[in-house]
Amino acid sequence: MSHDNSSPSFLQHHFHDVKQQYETSKLGMWAFILTEVLTFGGLFVAYVVYRSWYPEMFINANLLLDVNKGLLNTVVLITSSLTMALAIWAIQKKNKNLSLVMLILTFILAFMFLGIKYLEYSHKFEVGQLPGEYYSYMGPEIAHINNPHIFFSIYFMMTGLHGLHVAIGMGLIGWLIYATAKGNLHSKYYTPMEMIGIFWHLVDLIWIYLFPLFYLIG
Amino acid sequence: MDHQHHITPLSTYLTIAATLLFLSGVTVWVSYVDLGAMNVVIAMLIATTKATLVALFFMHLLWDDKKLLTIFVMSLMFLGIFMTITLLDTEFRGGVNPEVKNPINKRAAFYDSLPLTDTHGNPVDKHGSSHPEEDEDHH
Repeated sequence: MSHDNSSPSFLQHHFHDVKQQYETSKLGMWAFILTEVLTFGGLFVAYVVYRSWYPEMFINANLLLDVNKGLLNTVVLITSSLTMALAIWAIQKKNKNLSLVMLILTFILAFMFLGIKYLEYSHKFEVGQLPGEYYSYMGPEIAHINNPHIFFSIYFMMTGLHGLHVAIGMGLIGWLIYATAKGNLHSKYYTPMEMIGIFWHLVDLIWIYLFPLFYLIG
Repeated sequence: MDHQHHITPLSTYLTIAATLLFLSGVTVWVSYVDLGAMNVVIAMLIATTKATLVALFFMHLLWDDKKLLTIFVMSLMFLGIFMTITLLDTEFRGGVNPEVKNPINKRAAFYDSLPLTDTHGNPVDKHGSSHPEEDEDHH
């Protein structure tokens, strides 16, 4: 299919028009989100199975997590979801500078999330609240409870995979900052920003479940 | 040729974000109220409300072609099937033969070799005093 001179530079040759290109991107993105839901789904199933087997252990092990840091991370991630949405809103309104500011804020908030997570993880590494056979914490509040290492296996797997998504999201947002600043993304073509936005909101959405499931039991 | 994208009003984004932050506070507050088995139900209801707001407004599913919403809901339905069929196994083990249920409730063997620790993860001797640095192992 050939294009006349009026077809925009961002239209790839294998698409009929801009609308088809946009809708294809969006359909592909949601197919990817579906695979993401199922990836995390396996871990959610593991959580439900083990929590039903060890209800008392989950409540006791949960008390070893820091609710304040979890809530702070929730606030950070929801705010970053807002700034991501506003970055798209700004570019739709042809306000490139505001869009850049919002993207940079999103990047900083993502970094903050990982920083807080690092503080939590390093404390757990220090005291030995680790997954599986690496578990060694036998403090007075947990020593009488059976198998808390299972709670920490699931905790580290789920928050670790989520943290990996945050890190990947940071990389993608970093690229968006570059592409927007360079002028490759603008009010007529911002599909990558919208797609990465959907990814970023999914990261937020998963944390919305992880937070009560790990930090707010009982 | 420029198709019309729906531009969500700024006030919508701000309202949704404020609601999400408010509900996060509510879910923490309600977790300190002892409602027994209802605690987890309420926590999941609040989380699902928040997730719905994120999906419909931030992820734009409310205004997009409904095939995208269908894909997303389908993924959750398959997760539901996954979870239900798995639980049909794991929840009813031992129903016929109680012996089958026993191994999963045993304390893992490696706990027998773990020393008791204080709240900082340092080993505690039998008299209850902790000596983190001058452990024999470090010499």
